[in-house]
Amino acid sequence: MRLNFWIAYRLLFSRQILFGGSAPLSFLGLVLGVAALVASMAVMSGYVETLKLAMTDVTSDLQVVRRGKLVEDWATFSKKIKEQEPRIESMMRFGYAEAVMARKGQVSGVLFQGVEEAELAKVLNITKRVKHGQLQLGPDQIAIGIGLSKKYNVVVGEKIYLVVPLATPFDSSGFKRQSKEFVVTAVIDFGKNDWNERLVIGNLKSLQQLTEIGDRYTGAFIKLKDRETANEAAINLEAKLGTGFSVMTWYDVNRNIFEAVVIERAVIFFVVLLIVIVAAFNISSTLYVFIRQKYSDIAILKTLGLSQKKIRLIFLSQGLIVGTLGTIIGVIIGYDLCFAFMYLQDHYALISGSVYKIDKIYTDIRFIDLFAICAATQLICLVATYFPAYKGSQLEVVEGLKNG
Amino acid sequence: MDNTVYSFKKSIIEVANLTKTYSTGASELEVLKDISFSIQQGEAVCLLGASGAGKSTLLQIIGTLDRPTSGSVVFQGEDVFALNDENLAQFRNKKMGFVFQFHHLIQEMTALENIMLPALIAGDDPEESKAEALKWLDFMGLGERAEHFPPQLSGGELQRVAIARALIKKPEVLLADEPTGNLDSENSQKIQDLFFELRNKLGLTLVVVTHDMAFANKFPRVFKVKDGRFA
Repeated sequence: MRLNFWIAYRLLFSRQILFGGSAPLSFLGLVLGVAALVASMAVMSGYVETLKLAMTDVTSDLQVVRRGKLVEDWATFSKKIKEQEPRIESMMRFGYAEAVMARKGQVSGVLFQGVEEAELAKVLNITKRVKHGQLQLGPDQIAIGIGLSKKYNVVVGEKIYLVVPLATPFDSSGFKRQSKEFVVTAVIDFGKNDWNERLVIGNLKSLQQLTEIGDRYTGAFIKLKDRETANEAAINLEAKLGTGFSVMTWYDVNRNIFEAVVIERAVIFFVVLLIVIVAAFNISSTLYVFIRQKYSDIAILKTLGLSQKKIRLIFLSQGLIVGTLGTIIGVIIGYDLCFAFMYLQDHYALISGSVYKIDKIYTDIRFIDLFAICAATQLICLVATYFPAYKGSQLEVVEGLKNG
Repeated sequence: MDNTVYSFKKSIIEVANLTKTYSTGASELEVLKDISFSIQQGEAVCLLGASGAGKSTLLQIIGTLDRPTSGSVVFQGEDVFALNDENLAQFRNKKMGFVFQFHHLIQEMTALENIMLPALIAGDDPEESKAEALKWLDFMGLGERAEHFPPQLSGGELQRVAIARALIKKPEVLLADEPTGNLDSENSQKIQDLFFELRNKLGLTLVVVTHDMAFANKFPRVFKVKDGRFA
């Protein structure tokens, strides 16, 4: 086996091959195909990871809400959940309310998420997402999304009003206006475009006061010991808590997007793989020419005692060498493309948040993707080189010697 | 020059009723016509003939590089064409050494690597193969040329490297097809002398194809090939 590789290597890395003909171009095609595969898979994986991170940072690993009603007794509710699911690390109450933000004659619809300040750091990971100011959520304090901040030019320290319509039988219009003044303490990048433009986070007590719901709340944010077990934990909790409660994971909240990404990943993988296949066929045709030029060498190798099988192995080894080198260089260039993509995102608005839900995609190069790319590339190169290798091995020695 | 006539006891190669026909479209070209002969161990034999007489084809068939249309080649009692491709390749590697008119050295390998090739193909230890190849380079007077590539060597040097390559595995038979056909007279003379020196030194069986009468005259046994037959 070592001899096959040695001969393949010596024949392959000749001046004639490296600096002449179409061989370098064929190889470049393979490298670019692999690089495109690595970069596209990294971006797809990064998109999922970025969205997943945003979801779990802002809305935790699991959300448990009561269907159609608010939850009342936290002690009983939390005890019940903890008893049913041992994978829980920490949890806290939260409340949601649709509201209108008003400031200097400007109004905007927002989603007010009320959380417990004391428990916040144990369950959510919002602090690291603060872009300006300091995350403080006292009774009159609030944090807003970076999109909202830019859109209405709201900066840390400014005051805003949150206005909530409440149903009442004592008014002819059927509702009354409830409002409260807040000081903006932090501007946060929530990671999702619609959240950045719409979400505000404040104290749960303030939300309860504003919406007049007493000590009730929407549900619980739950942080698990292992985020990857969210699905199993959700199924378990849903079964144990009964139909009155809804349990959602980060995946459930954006199920459509994640399901679409799974399909898109597969489609993109095979579409970009076509580049590798085309490149491999270029290599195949180059190898045909190469073998034609090497008739004399093949003949002499047979004369010296190499069998047809071993001649075939030499040219298959060349396919393996080309495939391996193409994969390694392609992966390195793919990594560089990922870094370039990150750099360009930081300096230019490449990603439209309104289209892709997020403003910035982190690239994530997964081992499984790399393995699939390497395996597919090697397989394609071996298949592409098999036929020229077979043709070369069938050469009649006498014909080859005449060609010398 | 050593023209000693040896006494031979056993035949190493027996060729019986050998024919070789090439199909050229509708017609057939019979290159070898019912040739039979035997060569004794250690014998030096010359196949002499004009261009196109069939001598090279005969040599190639004896060397198992080509198959006959009919007839047999028996080497030390074994019908070589009954062997499969793998075994035939091993047979060539161990028993036969080849030298051609054109050196057929691999351009991408150094002189040393070219000489090592048969040993490496046989699966010998690379270090031992290298040491053996270096000995052969020294013997050929090319000790300083070990790391030189074929384009950096002269015609005579190339042919000496090719001879060293043919002999590194200590074959029993050395087959040479017009080994001096591409050399000037001085180098041709040196190579001719080298063949007989090697034959005496190693006890080789030598089968040489040539159309050079002067070279042929140095052989104790000469087969004249004409129109596919021994004349």
